[in-house]
Amino acid sequence: MNLIERVVAISRRRSPWICRLNAGSCNGCDIEITPLLSPRYDAEQLGVELHGTPKHADIVLISGTLTLRSREAILDIYAQVPNPKAVVALGSCPASGNVFAGSPLVLSESLDSVVPVDVWVPGCPPRPQAILDGIARAARLLEDGATKSQLQNWQGRLS
Amino acid sequence: MAMLKTILGNLLRPSRTRAPADMPDVPTVYRGALAHDAARCTACGTCAFVCAPKAISFTQDPGVSVSWHFFIGQCSFCGLCAQNCPTQAISLDAEVPTGMNSAAGDGLRLESIVRLQPCTRCGAAHVPLPDAAIAALWGVEEAERGYCPDCRRWAASARLRSAFIPAAAEEVHHER
Repeated sequence: MNLIERVVAISRRRSPWICRLNAGSCNGCDIEITPLLSPRYDAEQLGVELHGTPKHADIVLISGTLTLRSREAILDIYAQVPNPKAVVALGSCPASGNVFAGSPLVLSESLDSVVPVDVWVPGCPPRPQAILDGIARAARLLEDGATKSQLQNWQGRLS
Repeated sequence: MAMLKTILGNLLRPSRTRAPADMPDVPTVYRGALAHDAARCTACGTCAFVCAPKAISFTQDPGVSVSWHFFIGQCSFCGLCAQNCPTQAISLDAEVPTGMNSAAGDGLRLESIVRLQPCTRCGAAHVPLPDAAIAALWGVEEAERGYCPDCRRWAASARLRSAFIPAAAEEVHHER
């Protein structure tokens, strides 16, 4: 790794921009993101900035139960995020469907079957500390080149 | 002058922004991750029954053990399991585990194994009652401590019979 690549890798960790994606959530997880950006938890000390468009983002925070309709939206938005990208799943819903599992239009499976997830943040809703920790983990993975999207691209280049 | 003092003070003082490692503590009554005490569990299944998202389940290894499974990725931290556990085997920690790198393992799934014990009378494998429950129900010095539920029922009915018909007590003891 030469110097420029090293600088690029470090800057990926030092300024991860996030994009929030609600896949059918009850808004609990999304409300917990708001204090994350407040002075008390201060995500911006990690260089985190919330952006509305996935085209500016490095990390996608996906919250909520996956539904048949949101599945396509997730795939669409995930494809719009430029590489390298990390996915953080917030709360219980993306992991299993939580209390909504088994409902007619709910995919009762983990988010991993739709897009590759790098960090799972447990909680219902997860606490702001836990979300911040999840973002910091994802940023570290981005620096190390260890997110699933980066690993897949690397494998794709080899073959 | 006062402004200069403030500026100087702010320059000398460390930053007041909290680092991620130095986050505010949560109150102890906050509902976080579940902890299961296998020594107190009677495998009655109440927690699995009251769990709305079905995060708790039991599996059996007949004659050997009963396993209590918990998937944190399906839990909504309502606390009904801890509230309804008759022996207080489940407790909710205030802390919640931090992020995980995979849904399959590393902390999202918990397993706790309750070993079966042979009955001291008939030898059938059963889930032993916790000491606290035995002490509360039958007193500390109890002869039927290691009995399985069937033998407990038999012993209770034998006691009842001998209370009504004192002569029957001898027969009952010879029966088995």
